[in-house]
Amino acid sequence: MGHGTYMDDEKLTASVAGEVERVNKLICVRPLKTRYNGEVGDVIVGRITEVQQKRWKVETNSRLDSVLLLSSVNLPGGELRRRSAEDELTMRDYLQEGDLISAEVQSVFSDGALSLHTRSLKYGKLGQGVLVQVSPSLVKRQKTHFHNLPCGASIILGNNGFLWLYPTPGQQDEEEGGYYTSLELVPLSDREVISRLRNCLLALAAHKVLLYDTSVLYCYESSLLYQIKDILKPETMDEIVMVTRQRLLDQEG
Amino acid sequence: MRETPLSNCERLFLLKAIESKKRLDGRQTYDYRSIKISFGTDYGCCSVNLGKTRVLAQVSCELVPPKDSRPTEGIIFLNLELSPMASPAFQTNRQSELLVTLNRQLERCLRNSRCIDTESLCVVSGEKVWQIRVDVHVLNHDGNLMDAASIAAISALCHFKRPDVAIQGRDVTVFGPAERDPVPLSIYHMPVCVSFAFFQQGTYLLVDPCEKEELIMDGLLVMAMNKHREICSIQSSGGIMLLKEQVLRCSKIASVKVSEITELINKALENDRQARKEGGKFGFVESMPKERITALKREESLVEMTDVQETADQIISKAAAGHEVVPSPVIVATGTGQVGEGLQNTWGLDEEDEEEESGTKVEKRVEVISDSEEEDVVILD
Repeated sequence: MGHGTYMDDEKLTASVAGEVERVNKLICVRPLKTRYNGEVGDVIVGRITEVQQKRWKVETNSRLDSVLLLSSVNLPGGELRRRSAEDELTMRDYLQEGDLISAEVQSVFSDGALSLHTRSLKYGKLGQGVLVQVSPSLVKRQKTHFHNLPCGASIILGNNGFLWLYPTPGQQDEEEGGYYTSLELVPLSDREVISRLRNCLLALAAHKVLLYDTSVLYCYESSLLYQIKDILKPETMDEIVMVTRQRLLDQEG
Repeated sequence: MRETPLSNCERLFLLKAIESKKRLDGRQTYDYRSIKISFGTDYGCCSVNLGKTRVLAQVSCELVPPKDSRPTEGIIFLNLELSPMASPAFQTNRQSELLVTLNRQLERCLRNSRCIDTESLCVVSGEKVWQIRVDVHVLNHDGNLMDAASIAAISALCHFKRPDVAIQGRDVTVFGPAERDPVPLSIYHMPVCVSFAFFQQGTYLLVDPCEKEELIMDGLLVMAMNKHREICSIQSSGGIMLLKEQVLRCSKIASVKVSEITELINKALENDRQARKEGGKFGFVESMPKERITALKREESLVEMTDVQETADQIISKAAAGHEVVPSPVIVATGTGQVGEGLQNTWGLDEEDEEEESGTKVEKRVEVISDSEEEDVVILD
């Protein structure tokens, strides 16, 4: 009688396709294809859609736009600085409409909107890279969502289904608190790795494989046999994902 | 729900691509996406796939008293609905501007062009006429709803058959489909809408814009034409200023496209007619691709890349040198492949290399269990 079900002639029927959750007598169905439902502590990747007074509106593939308050970001000059009126006026210098950020969910409002924060050096504006959008239910909940893959690129697996691929940064000064975006030319080898990873992510998403660092890595390795552009062909996708699934099963068993 | 706005980098990329005559899906400027027309089991039910845009049209008829101003003409009623399953921006009961525009354009295209002979729909003058009702439902929105809707509507009208009537004095007998074969509508010509999207204040134009291209376009020109090169309606929206030559050029392009599309519609109608006549299966279920091996095959679309080569070379030369390419498997002998060079074999024995091809299992042992007392063990190399 919970969400996602209805009574059809005395029989409880699911109205959405998904996983069944049972708590004593309450049966709910959690749909597979859905908007992102945020929980406290999730890592998300979002895009700034509006700059308002003392806050930014962030699009995170959920039912409502998420909110990033000015008091929840790291400003240069230390964390304990008071937010002045000047900070409000220069909000656009930090984050504009169209910028991509990585953030963490601080709290959930009563209407379901998320409140985000970037109060850590690992969060902040994202620079050069590739964004891949998949369904939020495909991203596995793990301890960490920032991975430096051994193949030569890094990935942020946002819980909202936005996956960010970027070249692994070298040693860089973090004094700006994550708002420093490097515009150096990315070398061709890194670009190739990232393109291949992007196609692998799309292949895994098309076959509804749970996405986490191990599955992405296995998929990358089994895709090395093919050219990057061939990975998007349906037959090749099938093969690669089959090998990946096999390796994941072997690893678990 | 409010639609997610297109991100700045996507917008810039699309505009730059259009300026260099490239489109996101590899089409040329004047190319349509692949059109698929399929008919249902009932007469008058037609589904059109224009790329990923899906539209369903259903025609039905009813005997009603005619309009007072036109007692000898039948009535054509057109209705287009934007289903919320087409896009998160569509809501069921909201009368949006897009809905009104599409409805008006469809009416202008089909009713004002007089493509259907309404006089033949009259049964008893002043008392009973046929009212033909066309319901168009948008099932998926991926750009260019107008063209898809017009193709679906005219195909459904051509496919539709109304019940036969016999008039004896004042008595009207309507025969069911079992008693007498239903009669098709009398259609003079087939008007089809062609949409042109304009960018950068009319400098660049694209035919059949997809959803992303529609979001960044400046203006839209919809031209309804039939294959006899008669223009049925023109509508320009978006407030861009078009030159006379541009409109003339669009009309020329439209005439070519309309003849192609009319060809497609006629072929689909013919196929459906053949299937019904021969007693074969027809309907939506049959026209959907089955789960076969060839269902995985996808057509390759070629993208012109010759002029980008120079820019690409520049970027590559500026960036650092790439690492060496992984060598592809070298076939040493049939059934064995070699990738890279292994280390020196320190066993002192001659061993075969492991096979690199995935999915091929070599059966080394086969046990044949038979009823005999002796167990025969067969080993295969």
